[in-house]
Amino acid sequence: MITEMNGFVDTQQGLLDRQIFSSDEIYQQELERIFARCWLYLGHESQIPNPNDFLATYMGEDPILLCRAPDGRIRAFLNMCRHRGNRVCRADQGNAKDFMCSYHGWTFNTEGKLIGVPGMKEIYFGQLDLDQWGLVEVAQLDTHRGLIFATFDSKAPPLLDYLGGQEQELGIMFDRRAGGTEVIGGVHKWVMNANWKYAADNFFGDDGHHTITHMSVRSVPVDDRFYARTNDDGPDARDRPLARVPEGIVRDYHQEHFDELVERIGPELAKRPGLVTTVFPNVSPNFTRNMIRVWHPRGPEKTEIWSYCVVDKDAPPEVKDAMRLHLTQTFGPAGNLEQDDMNNWVQCTDTARGLIARRYPQNIQAHMGHEDKSGPIGGGKRLRAFYTRWEMMMRAGSWSEVDLQTKYY
Amino acid sequence: MRGVYGIEANTLKALLDGLQDTMGHDLWHEVQDFLIHEARLLDDRSFDEWLDLFTDDVVYWMPERVNPLDSNDPADSVSKPGDLALFEDTKDTLRTRVARLATGMAWAEVPPSRTRHLITNIQVDTGETESEIRVRSNFLVYRTQLEHSHDTFVGMRDDTLRKVSGQWKIARRTILLDQAVLSAPNLSVFF
Repeated sequence: MITEMNGFVDTQQGLLDRQIFSSDEIYQQELERIFARCWLYLGHESQIPNPNDFLATYMGEDPILLCRAPDGRIRAFLNMCRHRGNRVCRADQGNAKDFMCSYHGWTFNTEGKLIGVPGMKEIYFGQLDLDQWGLVEVAQLDTHRGLIFATFDSKAPPLLDYLGGQEQELGIMFDRRAGGTEVIGGVHKWVMNANWKYAADNFFGDDGHHTITHMSVRSVPVDDRFYARTNDDGPDARDRPLARVPEGIVRDYHQEHFDELVERIGPELAKRPGLVTTVFPNVSPNFTRNMIRVWHPRGPEKTEIWSYCVVDKDAPPEVKDAMRLHLTQTFGPAGNLEQDDMNNWVQCTDTARGLIARRYPQNIQAHMGHEDKSGPIGGGKRLRAFYTRWEMMMRAGSWSEVDLQTKYY
Repeated sequence: MRGVYGIEANTLKALLDGLQDTMGHDLWHEVQDFLIHEARLLDDRSFDEWLDLFTDDVVYWMPERVNPLDSNDPADSVSKPGDLALFEDTKDTLRTRVARLATGMAWAEVPPSRTRHLITNIQVDTGETESEIRVRSNFLVYRTQLEHSHDTFVGMRDDTLRKVSGQWKIARRTILLDQAVLSAPNLSVFF
């Protein structure tokens, strides 16, 4: 059942209906109209450099196997045996020529082909068409600056069109050096009882929460090596290059290569203090924290968080170490800043269940009528833009109804 | 391969192989008393006193857990030194964490979690130097907060204890939580 989206998002008034954070019906529609159609982030090329490298991830609630085929092409499939539905791979990542389902032994290669079925003669009398029963492949897969995206919608616009103006912005984090970026081993994975949109909209544009949510690190700064001046939010900080990069070895490194950055992405983008955003719907890069964050939805009131550390491939080892340690100290489940985000989102989600609470809309009016004062990358207008895109995807029966030029970023 | 604080890859192998428990009952009881005292400090939220139990050069490390391909070796279920870890702390950063909790504005701990650290399966073995011993223990940490929130953290710790001026201090702590995907919103408690 498709819900008419009337009245859920009012960007003119800056109001949001709380049901969008708790309704199962709306959540099911999100899976169909957002997660089954949009380009979703699957991983980083550096995680599967060699033929037959693979990693397991998710698109929405669907488990995905991301593979580097023997011919070097990157392919992505549902991690689901076509026979009865068992996962064909149980490992997080590795290198394998093929995957044998542990139920009846159907075996698939890294190109998704069904290459073996026990009892082909005795049970199927040679009549099973192996070509018909390969792994379900994504409709489109593409990479951008090392980032791997895919969609299950064959009609989705090309990735570059989908990214729109964000494509250039991503250069701030992923195009600083000639060697590009790489993901360091180890993924923070944890679950919170909060709607995925709280996290995604927070990274996209809720820069008004820093002062209060992360108040404690203002009075007890994580030391210079780790602290990224999150609270240095004075009006000029927005325009100061590297203003939020931690002092010491990491800032020195970025300073040293600043001219290279200007050459690569141009002075305007290079001089931005950083990049914190969300590529709709659920991947949030954060330059200052050296982090890519994915918000996997797990129902209207649950989100599984996967968080990766990303560094310049060409950076010296001691800089990469400092970047990783900065991330560990600030973000991730034990991060001194991020610990405090979770309970907020959990409780925002929790109150959205209340019948009376749902009669009262949420307020996303920050900077309304004063958009020019909110700086180039922040302010309430971005929250309103996020929900404009969200509502557009939820309404649209087809991509022709989606205007990717709408002020999303 | 070494991590930034000198965590060696082969320490994992050694700790997962288990310890010999060769040190005799008097020492074992002494170590148990120490660990129970430490657990009580944590549950009483006496974090400053808890910090005093660590040497100044402590490495406090909690790697990730992973699902390996085709391996029965428990060491392969642990992320490597140099990988992104859940905790990778020094005495200084632990001190910062404690100071932050004391601000009253670290919202993850407002109001404070109520915790129980249950420490079991203690094994004591010789250390790398004469003044050190290796101690392995299992833990179950129950944390509840607010009205309904509750988390259970289960895992093991591999400690190096060092005698400093007649007192045991924790010179190295490696913590393995058993979950690969934590079913908790944060790790705002200590282990």
